[in-house]
Amino acid sequence: MRTLDYTLEIRIPFPEERMATIAQQVLSPDPILKPEDFQVEYLKPATQHNNVLLVKFQSIDERVLRVGVSSVLDSIKTILETMDEL
Amino acid sequence: MGDLITAKYSSPDIPELHFTIDVNDKRYQTTNGMTTGPSEHVLNAGQIDRDRPSDPKLLSGSSSDVEPHYTELSKLRMHLTGLQDDINIFLTEQMELAKKKKIKLHSEEEEKRIDEEINELLDGGDGDEEDEDEGK
Repeated sequence: MRTLDYTLEIRIPFPEERMATIAQQVLSPDPILKPEDFQVEYLKPATQHNNVLLVKFQSIDERVLRVGVSSVLDSIKTILETMDEL
Repeated sequence: MGDLITAKYSSPDIPELHFTIDVNDKRYQTTNGMTTGPSEHVLNAGQIDRDRPSDPKLLSGSSSDVEPHYTELSKLRMHLTGLQDDINIFLTEQMELAKKKKIKLHSEEEEKRIDEEINELLDGGDGDEEDEDEGK
């Protein structure tokens, strides 16, 4: 059984707390196809920086991590682009 | 500019590696990443990139001719694009290293197996364990 030893945490400070919450709600429903190989969490740490979205990835290797992280970052960029237009 | 995006990587070989953004570096001033979108080969073959990200949005009253001022969300998107490139490049390098390590390990195992077989033959065995078992 392989363990999820490869991790990446990305801390994204949104201009407003409301935007970080919207991004978290938009991203959370996406199902993970192989949770035994790759997992992702979208957190809003309860600190003074409530505008921060913390994205935590865990994976079995670099290859799976690269594919999963890049895909999630593409989604976050689309969310940012949409927010900017509205 | 206030708080910036940061990232932290860890693996069995690398306990902790931080990714940061340099706002003055050109790679964090574009919405077109180097490691995302169709390859140059595909584009040269005539494909049109319909998913191309939009350019960063200028603040009202700002001009792209002089020093442009972008919206906070556009700045965040540009920073994230650069960080995505950094992460993609780093992980691709790590994938290559892991591949080389695997090939080396495989060839070492193969070399060890051959050495063991040669040594067994030199010790008087015929390399066929079944025959030895039959003789017992």
